Amino acid sequence: MTTSFIPAAGTGVPECSCPQGQAAASMVSRRTLLAGAGALGALGAVVGVAGPSAATQLAFAADSYTGDTIVVLSLRGGFDGLSAVAPVGDPAYFAARPSIAIPASRAIKLDAMFGLHPALAPLKPIWDSGGLAAVHAVGQVNPTRSHFEAMATMENAAPGSTIRTGWLDRMIGLTGPVSTFGSTAVGAATTPPSMIGPSPELAVRSVDSFVLSGAGTATEEARWATAMNALYAGAAPALAAPAKAAMAAVSTMSGLKAAGYVPANGAVYPKGAVGDALRDLARLIKAGIGLRAATIDVGNWDMHTGLGASDSGWMFRQLTELGQALGAFNQDLGPKMADVTLVTLSEFGRRVAENASGGLDHGHGNVSLVMGRGVRGGRVYGRWPGLATANLVDGDLAGTTDYRTVLAEALEQRAKLSSTTVFPGLATGRLGMFAAKV
Amino acid sequence: MLTGLGGGTVLAMSAAASSASAATLATTPTLAVAMTTSDPVLHLLRRATFGPTPALLAEVRAAGTTAWLDAQLAPLTKVPDTAMDAMMSRWPRLGWKTWEVRERLTQFGSWDVMYDLLEAHLARALFSRRQVFETTVDFWTNHLVVPVPSSEVWDSAHLFQRDVIRKHALGKYSDMLNAAARHPSMLKVLDNSDSHKKAPNENYGRELLELHTVGVGNYTEADVKQSALALTGLSVDSESGLYSYKPQRRFVGAVKVMGWTHANTSPEGGDAVATSYLNYLATHPATANRIATKLAIRYVSDAPPATLVSKLAQAYLANGTAIAPVLRVLFLSPEFAASIGQKVRTPYEDALASVRIMGLTPEPVPAPGQSELRSLLWLTGTFGQAPMGWPAPNGYPDVAAAWGGASGMVNRWNFHLGLTGNWSLKTMARPDLTTWVPSPLPTTYAALVDALAAKLLITLSTTQRDAICRFVDHAPTDALKAGAAAVTWRLPYLVALMLDSPNFATR
Repeated sequence: MTTSFIPAAGTGVPECSCPQGQAAASMVSRRTLLAGAGALGALGAVVGVAGPSAATQLAFAADSYTGDTIVVLSLRGGFDGLSAVAPVGDPAYFAARPSIAIPASRAIKLDAMFGLHPALAPLKPIWDSGGLAAVHAVGQVNPTRSHFEAMATMENAAPGSTIRTGWLDRMIGLTGPVSTFGSTAVGAATTPPSMIGPSPELAVRSVDSFVLSGAGTATEEARWATAMNALYAGAAPALAAPAKAAMAAVSTMSGLKAAGYVPANGAVYPKGAVGDALRDLARLIKAGIGLRAATIDVGNWDMHTGLGASDSGWMFRQLTELGQALGAFNQDLGPKMADVTLVTLSEFGRRVAENASGGLDHGHGNVSLVMGRGVRGGRVYGRWPGLATANLVDGDLAGTTDYRTVLAEALEQRAKLSSTTVFPGLATGRLGMFAAKV
Repeated sequence: MLTGLGGGTVLAMSAAASSASAATLATTPTLAVAMTTSDPVLHLLRRATFGPTPALLAEVRAAGTTAWLDAQLAPLTKVPDTAMDAMMSRWPRLGWKTWEVRERLTQFGSWDVMYDLLEAHLARALFSRRQVFETTVDFWTNHLVVPVPSSEVWDSAHLFQRDVIRKHALGKYSDMLNAAARHPSMLKVLDNSDSHKKAPNENYGRELLELHTVGVGNYTEADVKQSALALTGLSVDSESGLYSYKPQRRFVGAVKVMGWTHANTSPEGGDAVATSYLNYLATHPATANRIATKLAIRYVSDAPPATLVSKLAQAYLANGTAIAPVLRVLFLSPEFAASIGQKVRTPYEDALASVRIMGLTPEPVPAPGQSELRSLLWLTGTFGQAPMGWPAPNGYPDVAAAWGGASGMVNRWNFHLGLTGNWSLKTMARPDLTTWVPSPLPTTYAALVDALAAKLLITLSTTQRDAICRFVDHAPTDALKAGAAAVTWRLPYLVALMLDSPNFATR
């Protein structure tokens, strides 16, 4: 025998048959609040009213950080940069990939050497307007073909040192008092290794699912927050930190959910996880709640078999979704892309030659895409090592640019931070691919 | 829903590392003593099962810890599980051979049998009396990873679970490794089915070394290439979907991986060469160390003592890679006894433990696709940890540091309230929560909270208890009256709050 615990009318809690219903009832008052003031002020008001996130509100009200939001799009599984930004001017490319090379006639011409995969067509206007650049061939100092080691070392980004924190954590550590949202993983239930370390981080699977069922009103929310804070006061950090972050974020997130979201400038995000995550990221950036670093994971790039053709198949589908999502993100943020620098990273590139299964095994050198109005776009940066056999490293595209060089310049020029402690021991050469943020 | 690397649509493959890198980052989360019970039986049950229940606790106290453990380590003969066996008849398709799946399902490529598998996996974790066995099944599912659902294993994943994972979960790892290497699921997921002597596919050859056996640091890139050659020919027949050794694809000639060499002289002899190679890897000290470390991380601590890992590795090798003796050493070790409070429940473990402690029972046989277990599967996905849902071949991370996601935390808290308030998994009957309130009524709020904590098998500090009293607007010493909010409409909130506590989150 089961009983449904429905709060009786007149108990001071809105009548409902489910926690979601209760939450929904309380949204009305939040929406009213939002309607009554300018966007940023209203959000602040919601947070203020809710109480538990007062610290958050203080932090971002007096935000000392004036740099770009640094966004890392992690293409997990080993992204094939030679398909995305194809060296169609290099004959060795076609020799190595008889069945899966992007034909020069199909590639979207970027310069004498490179062409964009046709599935990435939505990015070409951004490229032409100077808001997108590529860097070929990036790599790590000590390459490994293990996914998991390569991801760990890439996100630690301090090879040869004993530092165990992630590079975004070290970056956040330089930016002064940080809000709950300062370092946020979007579209994920977990946070990435780049955020490991003493600075707080937040994982937001989706804005609309970040609602505490039992706390449908500001009063109830305060009740839960007080109790949770007391319960977790003596707990180990591994338990206490996410609980604290969750409580701190709940009121802001429920305000955002209540406000709803329509992308600006006619932007249409593609269906799927990448589009959803970039849409939520745009939403969080526009809310002005202090995002300094954000990460999004995009998986399914480990194409050992059946990579497909330039107009169909696995890679085509993946790049279509990625291109549409990035295009929509750029359009949605519009002028706000002046305050956003987005970099794509992948743990390694793939083997130059295709295998027996029409796929590619693990390799090394890769491409990074860099997007934002602070980028000196419309160019492929880096030194192209060539694909002639003599120039390959164990069958792989050589890495001629340490990927950290790109990140370091982004931090220096766009985040207005020193990169020396974030990337210890990194050489001082830069590509000159960013305009200094004013 | 997550799908596999082989053609799914999803995000993820996060590196929130499970192996060496995570171990170096892991901190040992030790709770303040007042927050965890020092009862050794409860400690064992929090680790060796998917969550203690009062009935199970009584059973172990009656049987004695070692006797219970020994029975659990020989479940087929010593732990009758008739109710679970009967429940399994809900999923008759799990007995279908691959050709039957292909012939009998109306839609080729249907995910129906994979969902049967996931529902059954959850049911067994929740309701089987062979709890230690089910935790090891989960461990190996997360070690020899075949993501489900994933289109390439639609007709074979249930057989991989039955014939590779469940069959050998407490048996010899060398047998499991060999079975995996001949199973269509593994050969497809890691692409060995497509490998060829002319252009070997390195995926399986690499992950076999890195993830299934010796681990990074014990082999070179040249070894990876040789490993791929040593596995050529192990493939899948496309018409039947069954394992097929294909001599025409076999590389012939001497192969050498680490300390293993073989003349490998004939195309027909390649399957036996592969067995020699797999047995070498299964019995390698580095594999022993790696399996020992992973088991210790699973059951003991995010940063397990080296003394324990060493003992487990020795037991693994001394028993010909058999797992049951290793677990016996583990659970009876002083290191295990000393590890109270050092593990945090992953989101999946939290969900299962919540369902078990709330006393939910199996739903009546549901209409197809309508099952509460399917709802639970979806819910665990929102926590970031649907069973078999990790899309990468390294498996879900098993350390607390990897699960610090606030979003998943909020979803878990909501799940707790859904359980206590009967909003979630409605058709799985559970005791009426009001029966948890002692009769006669406790005289104070403090006494009420203590009584509820005892029901949840957790121990609260005084500070925590008082905070929970204040949650229902009362001082601990206030007199509790019949009909009070705390024992009527606020009761589900009160119990959910206690499930949200770090005390319950600790394994």
